[in-house]
Amino acid sequence: MNDPRYDRLAKVLVEYSVGVEKGDLVAINTLPVAEPLTLAVYREVLKAGGHPFVRCHFPSLTEVFLKEANKRQLGYINPVSMEELERVDKVISLWADENTKSLSNVDPERQKSRAAATAPLWKRWNEREAAGELKWVGTQFPCNASAQDAEMSLGEYEDFVLRACLVHRKSPIGAWKGVHRKQAKICRRLNEARKIRVVTKGTDLSMAVAGRKWINCDGKANMPDGEIFTGPIEDSVEGTISFSFPAFYYGREAEGVELTFKKGKVTKAKASKGKDFLVAMLDTDDGARRVGEFAIGTNYAIQQFTRNTLFDEKIGGTVHMAVGSSIPESGGVNESGIHWDMVTDMRDGGRIYADGKIVYKDGEFTID
Amino acid sequence: MSDPRYSKLADVFVDYCLDVRPGDLVQVNAPLLAEPLVRDVYRAILKAGGHPFVRASIPGLEEIFLKTAKKHQLAYVNPVTGFAIDTIDKLLNIRAVSNTKALANVDPKSQAATRAAHRDIFARFMERSAVGELAWCGTQFPCNASAQDAEMSLSEYEDFVLRACLVHRKDPIAAWRSVHRKQAKLCRLLNERKKLRIVAEGTDISMSIRGRTWINSDGKKNMPSGEIFTSPIEDSVEGTISFSFPACYSGREAHGVRLTFKKGKVVKASADKGEDFLEAILDTDDGARYVGEMAVGTNYAIKKFTKNTLFDEKIGGTIHMALGAAYPDTGGKNKSSVHWDMVNDMRGGGTIYADGRVIYRDGEFTAK
Repeated sequence: MNDPRYDRLAKVLVEYSVGVEKGDLVAINTLPVAEPLTLAVYREVLKAGGHPFVRCHFPSLTEVFLKEANKRQLGYINPVSMEELERVDKVISLWADENTKSLSNVDPERQKSRAAATAPLWKRWNEREAAGELKWVGTQFPCNASAQDAEMSLGEYEDFVLRACLVHRKSPIGAWKGVHRKQAKICRRLNEARKIRVVTKGTDLSMAVAGRKWINCDGKANMPDGEIFTGPIEDSVEGTISFSFPAFYYGREAEGVELTFKKGKVTKAKASKGKDFLVAMLDTDDGARRVGEFAIGTNYAIQQFTRNTLFDEKIGGTVHMAVGSSIPESGGVNESGIHWDMVTDMRDGGRIYADGKIVYKDGEFTID
Repeated sequence: MSDPRYSKLADVFVDYCLDVRPGDLVQVNAPLLAEPLVRDVYRAILKAGGHPFVRASIPGLEEIFLKTAKKHQLAYVNPVTGFAIDTIDKLLNIRAVSNTKALANVDPKSQAATRAAHRDIFARFMERSAVGELAWCGTQFPCNASAQDAEMSLSEYEDFVLRACLVHRKDPIAAWRSVHRKQAKLCRLLNERKKLRIVAEGTDISMSIRGRTWINSDGKKNMPSGEIFTSPIEDSVEGTISFSFPACYSGREAHGVRLTFKKGKVVKASADKGEDFLEAILDTDDGARYVGEMAVGTNYAIKKFTKNTLFDEKIGGTIHMALGAAYPDTGGKNKSSVHWDMVNDMRGGGTIYADGRVIYRDGEFTAK
């Protein structure tokens, strides 16, 4: 049976998030488990007059590649992928792992060299996106592997995902437009600030944001969404931040991560679990030890941590920070083959100061 | 558990059919249900030093496209598809569907429109193949839908497919090399002939093959293979041919097809079943009414008609003819977006004359 909620979600992705127009070349990146949503999105793109094509990945091949490819193969960039990146107008990515830990035993050094090799693709992608030539949205299809990580049944997890995407609302697109308006006000206020200081348990971190832009994440690039972010001045980050939630990257995790910054660079990295992996990723390249993004999650329909960055970084009442590449539209200029988001809870006593004034307390903005 | 026969078959594709070399860019097209074979193929390409990338197809998309797409969408060609055809070194097409009749009720005009739109890309593909810049191979993964058409169980069908590919032999690659040598002699003989006449029940057809090249289909481009073929001089085909087997194309079929040619062109076409479909395909473009290929099947491990052209056209003791595009390496010039192979049994009294002399009788070459 076809779940009609996927047709509604497909409409949000196609009409609202990337806004497919007649003649657009639209890539749908997907995985086998996401077939029901893939078909719904494909149909919706055709209805909007676009030219959809589907890139479905065989889940097992990534493991084979990372374990068996030789050095030259690990460093190779397929010119067809490059051409696709130049041509495509809209990209809709559906994530749906069959096993979120299938890469747990891959050598992190090999993952690192693959990440470094594909950095130019990532960079070009960001450039085209910043120039408005390429619109992208990524979403999570509710599947058992993610439900398991979230410690829910599949049915419960479907409800969680679809509610977070506001698909239960009468007009989901109208609801996302409401999120946009609310966050636009906060961004305008923060765009005037020069310095941000974040204080919570184990955390006292400050950074300059003067001249940088706060971006309103209103469901256009991520679904679900609900966050505002910027790229701090690269050499300005000072202090320590502790992440209350485990930090995930490419199917691996580090827990109890604590990072200390001097002149923008991580000079001390601690973790209660996964420290080797953390350090290996920080050593990917020069940019991997600098902050590419600082953000505040605002989706209060997401209350619980589900071990999936897409949702966790949006939890209403959290902040997150990414080490690695900046998103150019924020004005950030850090370059790296990685972009690793780590989340910390602010709901119990966390505060954010803008130029010395409190703007956020206990997980809520105090400004409007 | 993975079937070790698939890794043997994967080696045939990579080491014999495509001859993958270090640095080769290798595209693999495969449906999701062929995953066990895809994984072995992917691994074999990596071992050979190539750069594999896989394009997975999802069942159901083509139906949605053909039923939903508007004119401008049917006529659209994704520029990335063309770029890939110009860039890749090797291509493996693995076919397998979950339902061979999934497209039985789509409008054949829509199929013809999208095929016509891709005519230039198809021609470019054939050109690069003819000059040896692009090696390709097509094969069938044994799946239930094809087993059902063949009226076999899945495991019987697996055995049938793998035996036809000579994978049961101790050294499958050596077995294919021996097929090559045997057929090379027949090709040399036929390359010196000027006129062919084929006589069987309901069939008396003649054509000039002067100056055309007979191609030794030895398992490089099709797996399994076992056929020799040429393209007749385009305007020389005269007479009538009846096809004893159903003619299958793009998920549809016509039974009891009978074609009458004058000056190379189909002037009368009839079928006991599927005549409208036959007519629609013949009307795709100018070249669709001309013969692109004339061939003799020589794989005596394939005895049974299984409603799958890849195998049926190779049945030892049959001939087949394709309407539409010629393979340029034969010297054939016919252009069309169609290439529809139709097969006729020669085992009950069929005779082939070359320049007036019998060279083939009752399904076997008399000339060696």
